[in-house]
Parts: sequence; C-alpha cells; structure tokens
Amino acid sequence: MTDKIRILSVEVEDAPNTLTKVSGAIRRRGFHVRGISVGPSRQPGRFRLTLQVDHGHAEADQVRKQLERLVEVIEVEDVTSDDVHSRELVVAKVAASELDELLRRGAKVLSTAGDGTTVEFSGDHAEVREFVAELHRHGIVDVARSGPVVMRRAR
Amino acid sequence: MILEALEREGVEYIFGYPGGANLPIYQHLHEFPKLKHILVRHEQGAAHMADGYARAGGKPGVVFATSGPGALNLVTGLCTAYMDSVPMVAITGQVVSTQVGRDAFQESDVIGATSSVTKHSYLVTRIDQLPRVIHEAFHIATTGRPGPVLVDICKDVQQAQAERVTPERLEIPGYRLNGHVDLAGAEQAARALSDAERPVILAGHGVILSHAETELRQLAEAAATPVGTTLLGIGAFPVKHPLSLHMTGFMGTGWNLKAVQNADVLMMVGMRVDDRVTAKLADYAPKVKTFIHIDIDGSEMGKNVRPHIELVADARQALTAIQPHVGNLNERRGLWLTQIDAWREEHPLRYRRSNGQLQPQDVLIDMYRRARNEAIVVADVGQNQIWAALWWNYDRPGLFINSGGAGTMGFALPAALGAKFARPDLPVWCVAGEGGFVMTAQELSVAVEHQLDVKIVLLNNFSLGMVRQFQDDFYGGVRSQVDLTHMPDFVKLSEAYGMPARRVERFEDIAPAFDAAERTKGPFLIDFRIDPEANVYPIVPLGKSLNEFWEAPQQ
Repeated sequence: MTDKIRILSVEVEDAPNTLTKVSGAIRRRGFHVRGISVGPSRQPGRFRLTLQVDHGHAEADQVRKQLERLVEVIEVEDVTSDDVHSRELVVAKVAASELDELLRRGAKVLSTAGDGTTVEFSGDHAEVREFVAELHRHGIVDVARSGPVVMRRAR
Repeated sequence: MILEALEREGVEYIFGYPGGANLPIYQHLHEFPKLKHILVRHEQGAAHMADGYARAGGKPGVVFATSGPGALNLVTGLCTAYMDSVPMVAITGQVVSTQVGRDAFQESDVIGATSSVTKHSYLVTRIDQLPRVIHEAFHIATTGRPGPVLVDICKDVQQAQAERVTPERLEIPGYRLNGHVDLAGAEQAARALSDAERPVILAGHGVILSHAETELRQLAEAAATPVGTTLLGIGAFPVKHPLSLHMTGFMGTGWNLKAVQNADVLMMVGMRVDDRVTAKLADYAPKVKTFIHIDIDGSEMGKNVRPHIELVADARQALTAIQPHVGNLNERRGLWLTQIDAWREEHPLRYRRSNGQLQPQDVLIDMYRRARNEAIVVADVGQNQIWAALWWNYDRPGLFINSGGAGTMGFALPAALGAKFARPDLPVWCVAGEGGFVMTAQELSVAVEHQLDVKIVLLNNFSLGMVRQFQDDFYGGVRSQVDLTHMPDFVKLSEAYGMPARRVERFEDIAPAFDAAERTKGPFLIDFRIDPEANVYPIVPLGKSLNEFWEAPQQ
C-alpha cells in the first residue's frame, strides 16, 4: 500500500442516504475508495464503515475532515498509523482437489461439489494477498474479497 | 403540518412554484396568512430570490418546488447558496412514497442530484418524521457555516393527518458546531501579528456571517495592520479606512496584491483561500513566515494553504479572543504602512475614458455618488460584478451581494428582488450585464407584480464581456461565441413586462436617467450601452502569480 492511503473507521447513521453521501463526498474531493466494509455497530441505528481511501493530491487529513462535515457521519477515526488489527475475508471456489497448502495456511472448507471446492480465509492485507496468490496456483474458479475491518489492539 | 412548522420557525416569505407533487401544501397555503408566498416564473428564480433575501436580511430563505423538473431547476440556485454559505431551506415535493423508484411521472432522485450542492438533505416518507426534520433543517441551515438544506417530502406525507407535535429538543449526533476558541492559539496569533514586520489581514464572507466587522476593525487598529477583503468579504472592512487594502485576489487592487506578496504574516479570517484569491498557489504570499487561518469549518484548514496557526472558530469569537493579547508592535510597522500608502499611490484603480464611449465606471461612480452607503447593490457575474465590487466604497456588510463562489450568471435580478423583500427600507440596485440578465429576465414579472422598488442597471456591451476579455488577453485574441448583437430591445422588453425603462448612450445622459429612475416608484431599468472594449483591471493572467497583475493602460 502506498502512503497516500488512509484507513478510516467511520461511525454513521443508519439512513437511506448515508452511503451515497459518504461516497459522494469522497468522489467530489478527488479521493478514491480502495476498500470498504460496512456493518452494524454496537449501537442500534448506527453503522460502522471501514474505508481505505487514496487521498490523491489533497492533504491526508482532508479525507477525515470532509467526512466529518456530513451530518450523517457521527465520528471519524483515522487508524492508518495506529496499532490495529486489520482483517479481510476471502471466499473462493477452486477447481483442484489438492487443498493441503490452502488448509495449512488456515483456510476452511465451506463445501465440496463436482465442480470444485469452496474455501474461506481471513487475515491481514499481506496474508490475504499471499493466500490469493496461492489460490492462483490452484486454479481459481471464482473469488470474492471483503474490504478490511479494523479494530484497535487491546493494550 | 409543513406550513405550521414553517410558521413556527418564523418564516415570513416563501419563494415558490406549485406543481403535481406539492399540490397538497398549496391547497392549505391560504390558511396561513403570516406566510407570504411569492410566485416566481422559474424555480431557479425562487432559489436566487431566497438567496438574496437571506443575504440581505440575515434570515434563511425558503423555497418551494414540485418534484422532478421543478426540483431540478433549483440545482443552480442551491449550488450558488452552497458555495457562498447562504442559509436556505428548500422544500420539494416528491412522488407518493410507494411510487418512489418506479420512474413515476415527474419523479427524479432529487436527494441524489442535490447532495453535492446542499449542506444536508432529507427524504421524508413518514408523517412522524416531519416536525423533527423541518426543525433540524432550519437549525442546520442557519448555524455553524450556514448553507442550503433540502427537504424532499413525498406527496402522501403532505396529505397525511397527524397529531400536532412540537419537535423535541434537537439531537443531531453527527452535527458539531465549532464555537470555542483555542485560547493558546489566539495568544499565539496575537503575538505573531504584533511581532510581524509586514502583517496583512484578509477578511472573507465568514466575517460578515458572524457579524465580526467591529471586532475586525478594532483588531486592525490595535495591531496597526492593513486589511483586505475577498470578493464576498466586501463590506467587512470600510474601503475608505486608512488601513484598507480593498479587494484581494486575481482581480484585486494593485496595492492589495503588493501587500499580500510582501507580507511576512498573513491572517486569513472566514475565507476559503480559493484559486481566485491565491492565483498561482505555489507563488502565493511567498514571503510569509506565519500563516494564521481562522474559519468555523475545520476542513478549510490546509485545504489550499497550510496554516502555521489555525483557529477553528466563529470569526467574531476568535477576533475577540485575539485582540487583548496584541502587545507592543514591531517598530518597523510604520515603515510598512508607509510602503502600502506608496503602493496605493502607485497603483490606483483607473480606467480608460478617452475614446468617447460610455464607460461602465462612470455609470457606477454616478450611482455611488447618489446612494453612498445607503443602498444594496446586487451584482451579476462577469465584468459587471468586478466593476461593482471595485468602484463602490462599501463601508459595511450587507450592501454588496453577488455570486462569488459559484459565479452564477442570472443571479442578480432574482437575488435583487429577494433582497428588496428582506430590506424594503433600503434602495436596491441590480447591476447586470445583458448576457446574465436574459438568463433569468422572466422574473421581471415578479418585480412588476409586487411593484418592487428595484432599479436595474444594465451594463450592456452586446457581448459576453469577461469571456471576450479572457479570449483577447489569454486565448490568442480569438473571439469565439461571445457576440450578443442579437438581444431584445431592453426598453421595449421592460415595457412589455409593464415597467418603465430608458436607454443611455452618452456620458451626459447618465445623471438624467438616474434622476428618472429615482423619481419612479417601483421597478425601473436603464439600458446603458457601454464601451464594448471596456475591460476589468487589474487582472492577473491565468496561471500566473499575484505579482504579475496587469493594470489598465494609461489614458
């Protein structure tokens, strides 16, 4: 990842327009989303977005500041340089039946059928990248990847 | 229920246009005599009228439009208000909630289309949301950095009956107001200003919005620091004050640009520091050691110029906090002020008047001689706007209104009408070129219908003057699509609308025409046939630094 990428943990209102407004603000300022994941947060009525954003020619903190201007956005935490757990998920269908190397890396078999095997794997960005490279050697039929989900490490 | 809520918010005027999806609101309008509805002739006119109303009167402008094309016609007006931080609440009708997403008649995704030009927006699909949403909309539009808020209300919600509820206390977790001043930062700013050898303050629209003109003048005088304003900041500091640098930016005055480019401390108050202010960013204020930026919107810090001292706060509170800490001034301050006086002598505003043609500056100077600082000038966009900015000596906020950020042609006429609704006590002058004027000229009907005492000064050069000037100076002299020879006869056009007008082609006819305008109650138009070659000066060539400004040729 280049140093133009910021990782932001964003708490938002669960409203019909929230995602449009967040993505609109990012696009309008010339930023680019490299990864995104969305899910309910601890509080009812609120969601947490994890965003990997390329801030382009703008100053790095502009991403956070521009998102904070949105009324739908409750809190933005820039966790780029913080000590965090960042996890991504891959679900893949592979043609091969030789799965030992994938299983050794910690993949879990979800189902097996005539046209291949479906596996899942989660890890940090580098681990997922290596896992996907390994999948290539096994002949990927299909692959789906999530954006990162981030949590500060317990201290 | 909507109208009740508006009454509760203290709304006096609504600028609007009915249609299929807001009929239920209009059905009950007559039951609310305190709400005065102004029927515009195009929705864009409604948005600009509300804008002028808000800028002149300080209260939020309110707009009604129907769904689809009605709402989409507001987009330019919302953008104009958004760029210039003007409080506005636009209430649009939306198709019945069960029809949303089915491409119903006159359905459009208004929230989607306006998200980038509104401070906030709501789609209301249930009646129980309505009281809270309207109350929040006014709160958000008018507080912090103001801006337009759009409320899109489904037609079935407009028709629904519900118990009357007064909205509970506002609780908007994602809306934070920056008010408190960082006192350490304020002290630091005061020290930087006091210690500076060559300080400059620039004031933007934020100073006007926070009513900080008195605090600004006190600080400038205490710190013996010259003050310039942005185009939208005009009025924040009296032009004739000895410390005044008048307007900054790429069409600013020569002595202002000299001061900015030689300053060692630059304090920027309530402004965005955009490209029209800085010109070539890399060469902006190159000798500054300390940039101080004060703005209520934290995202402005470092957006264009990275400040050394930043105060995210209301301008008035920040200036109030800074002033007591201004200490002994740098002993070389006197030299700096003398230097600025010399630059003011060396680079005065001037214009060519030797070719026998009617000069726009002559028109504006005569106007100013009559109105002094007891009239509101609403300018359009283009050469007319810069002439009106530079050739009047505005001494307080609220007298000069124009579309600075968006640069919306067609703004002046409807905004001037809105300003007159807000300030019936003050004369209102609309200054426009003929190009922008015809973009919204249909609103003359509103002026005549309400006999609004607005005087329209048309600076008519039969061309898109600013574009023509840019083509002449920066695009190889190729005049392309700027000829407006084919325009209506504006005197006959005014008469067709039912208002008097006259044409002026010679210098000696300026005064009699203004006399006639002033004698007439109600709207009046003067079609000034000005020198088609008249240009705006000073001007910084596109892409160049502020050092490289061009001045008007000598006589």
